[in-house]
Amino acid sequence: MAKRGKPRHPLHTLRIVCQLVFFALFLALLVLTALGTAVTAHDNLAQVFLITDPLVALGSALAGGFDAILLLSLIVVAISALAPRAYCGWICPLGTTMDIVDKIFFRNRDRSKNVAPRLRQFKYALLLALVVMAAFGIGAYGWFDPICIATRSFGTALYPMADQGVKAVLAAAERGGLPAAAALYDWAEKSHVFIREANFKQGGTPTAYAWSWVFVALLVGLLAAQAYQKRFWCRNLCPLGGLLGLASSLSPLRPRVSDECTSCDACRRGCKTGAFQPLKGEKKYGGCAQECIACWACEREFCPVDAIHIGAGAPRPIAPAPQVMPSRRAFLGAAATGALLAPAFLLDQRTRAKEETNPQFRPPGALRPDSAFMGACIRCGECMRACPTNALHPSEIENGIAGLWTPTFIFNIGYCDYFCAVRKADIDAGRTDEPSNLCGIVCPTGAIAHLMHAEKAKWKIGTAVFDKSRCLPWARGEECLTCEEQCPLPEKAISHETEEVINLEWLKMPQPKRNRYEELEEKLLLRKATPREIDELTDMPPKKRKLALPYVLRDRCNGCGTCENVCPVDGPGGVRVERLQTREIK
Amino acid sequence: MHGPMNRRDFLRTAGVAGAALCGAALGGCSSGGASGSADGGDLKCRARPHPQADAWKARLALAQGGDDPARNVRTAIEKLCGADGVKTFVKAGDIVAIKPNIGWAQGPEMAATVDPAVVATVVRLCLEAGAKAVKVFDNTVGMTSKCYEFSGIEAAAKAAGADVFQCAPHRYRMLKFDDPRCKRLAEWLIYEDALAADVLINIPVAKVHNLSYVSLAMKNLMGVQGGDRGKMHQEIYQNLADLNVMIRPTLNLLDATRIMVSGGPSGGKKDYVVAARTIVAATSSVTLDAWATDPLNLPWPKGHHDVAAVKCIALGAAAGLGVAEAGKIEVVA
Repeated sequence: MAKRGKPRHPLHTLRIVCQLVFFALFLALLVLTALGTAVTAHDNLAQVFLITDPLVALGSALAGGFDAILLLSLIVVAISALAPRAYCGWICPLGTTMDIVDKIFFRNRDRSKNVAPRLRQFKYALLLALVVMAAFGIGAYGWFDPICIATRSFGTALYPMADQGVKAVLAAAERGGLPAAAALYDWAEKSHVFIREANFKQGGTPTAYAWSWVFVALLVGLLAAQAYQKRFWCRNLCPLGGLLGLASSLSPLRPRVSDECTSCDACRRGCKTGAFQPLKGEKKYGGCAQECIACWACEREFCPVDAIHIGAGAPRPIAPAPQVMPSRRAFLGAAATGALLAPAFLLDQRTRAKEETNPQFRPPGALRPDSAFMGACIRCGECMRACPTNALHPSEIENGIAGLWTPTFIFNIGYCDYFCAVRKADIDAGRTDEPSNLCGIVCPTGAIAHLMHAEKAKWKIGTAVFDKSRCLPWARGEECLTCEEQCPLPEKAISHETEEVINLEWLKMPQPKRNRYEELEEKLLLRKATPREIDELTDMPPKKRKLALPYVLRDRCNGCGTCENVCPVDGPGGVRVERLQTREIK
Repeated sequence: MHGPMNRRDFLRTAGVAGAALCGAALGGCSSGGASGSADGGDLKCRARPHPQADAWKARLALAQGGDDPARNVRTAIEKLCGADGVKTFVKAGDIVAIKPNIGWAQGPEMAATVDPAVVATVVRLCLEAGAKAVKVFDNTVGMTSKCYEFSGIEAAAKAAGADVFQCAPHRYRMLKFDDPRCKRLAEWLIYEDALAADVLINIPVAKVHNLSYVSLAMKNLMGVQGGDRGKMHQEIYQNLADLNVMIRPTLNLLDATRIMVSGGPSGGKKDYVVAARTIVAATSSVTLDAWATDPLNLPWPKGHHDVAAVKCIALGAAAGLGVAEAGKIEVVA
């Protein structure tokens, strides 16, 4: 417990300011990612937290998908080598979320007895297991990386929820006759704070993502674990925290306790991450750089005798606390878990999909074969956030457990827009070397490549297939062709031929009348009909009517899913994208 | 816990209330967010018909030639309405809604959308006539922001002084199609600003369409509706006739500066486009379509369609909206 009344160290205050600034930046970048089509930043700005994430760099270097830009993560490693895990304490958006929630909900909660120092080793064990799995090409680290967790939870769950909530409240207020609400709505719409909805089917569907309730539940779980210990996740489980802890071994700046220590235990009880421990065989305490997140609360606020100093040197320092390391058993257990799970996941993948010929629907530019994509994808959800039509969603385990939360299309919700990131200025200037797929532009690893517009137009996601038992003209004899109308390809991949089909109006006639019709028609054919009989026949609905029946020209179709998206058939569409012929069109 | 609420309690309460509010709002929008809300029976399209609308049911004006669509717009309107032009139907202080075809993410050279110069000119004429505000919008087929950008209409109309905006899902109103002439649609979502404006100007582009043969003035009104667009495609002609009964633009202005003769309605290739250098103005969308559908009047590809096959025209004429027979149309050229 922090002792009230003791002044904060100026660096403590600075740390809080820094946290809030980075948190605001994180949220602002999520907004920026979502409005890609409006401001289309053709650079990696929106993913600055992900491309500087050393775990993402290490994982993708092992599992595949390493991109040179990930070398920027060396900055974060360097920070740790200079000032322990300052990244966790000063920058990490998940850590800041933890602190904010702790401040609001658990501030007066006494957790001083929940020290449990042995739990801290799990983050190293988890890191080891994930690294072993990455070496087998399994991108499991994306499930546990804190930046991925934050991006996923905020980007595909909290932000769209807040967006929809605020919109609904403003819309209700507007209906209630509050002009200020309408003005605020328009401002938020025009300034792109609101998510631009696809505005396609049913006059615009609210942006929502599959799995979002799970992401919220998991985040709430991580935050609620603070009821037991402050920063429970960061202290005990975070694999990035573990990685930065290793780099922190080099840090000259570390929490040092001088021999003035009175063993009052205040530092151990107060420290968010358990960086202080009693030294073996001594009545004194020691600080551990690998666990310290440099929050600067201990120096002035915890220690009653000012024996703690975070710095390169200290008056009469005593020995540091030993580094937290997994026990030999935990180490072997973690390595073995990774080494066993990885092949199990790979085998699971084999049983579920013929990966070369029948992978899941992947964003245009996704690495192939699909196993390579699953290794390179960190499941951060940036592509889903960026997709302007809300078409990309976290997948289930259609392609094996290893593919959980990798992006896939739900065409009933969105479609792969033909232009996507293409800007009018590029077309006007004749520039053809600009990336055109927002999902590829924002992808922090090499999982989704940049595609030029000509490449994207030909990139095959799947192939549209008519379900003749559901398509309105084919199944019900009703005219439609919405799919052909909205096929965005300059040479449409859906065409139609007008054919004679049975006229439903004719079928509505009672049987005797139908018999009479047949009789008259035969007479007419044999030229035996009287003028009166001809009149009688023309007064009846004709037996056949002309109807346009749609067909897919599958060598043209790139599987963008626009047809499936706009198909007016409720439930599964009359035309659907199937996982056929996923090679690029020649 | 007695006494004044402290900051922590306040934040905690606010957090819980906010989450509850979000949840409630989400529940609300999942049921009605994008589908508008039920309205009373008094809801109707308030746009004034042109003062001469009844007298000019069979009349249209034509401006052809040259390379300046803006000049053709002014000429066509003056030919139809006289020297006072737009002032004959826009009064000082009016709110004007303009519904151009901005349906696709294509440049004007593809003829999938209206030439931005046409829209900008109409905006300027309305503002010169004293309009308080000119609103330009379309419920586009493609991604709205792309359509607004690529067509060039957003930039041009804004520069001319218009308010250009994307249709907000909650601003569609469920309009009862209670006119006895409406044969198929019982009710449909229509955008608020199309209903509330004093003057509604419909600006279609002339192009071929895979289902309705041609897309002209009657079809262009699809962009003021917000229901399931695909469901409008069953018995499309009757739906279009019903829509045109309920929504009567003050003026229809056909942009046939270029016409798309193939690959419609989306287009995307310059091969599909033929120059026609024509602007047609009419008070009746049906009469305008009857004239423009005729291959004698616009360079439609040979054998593409019979005028009679575009059945919405006959249905609209039967509902008294205009004239379908070519011989009865008075063309002011």
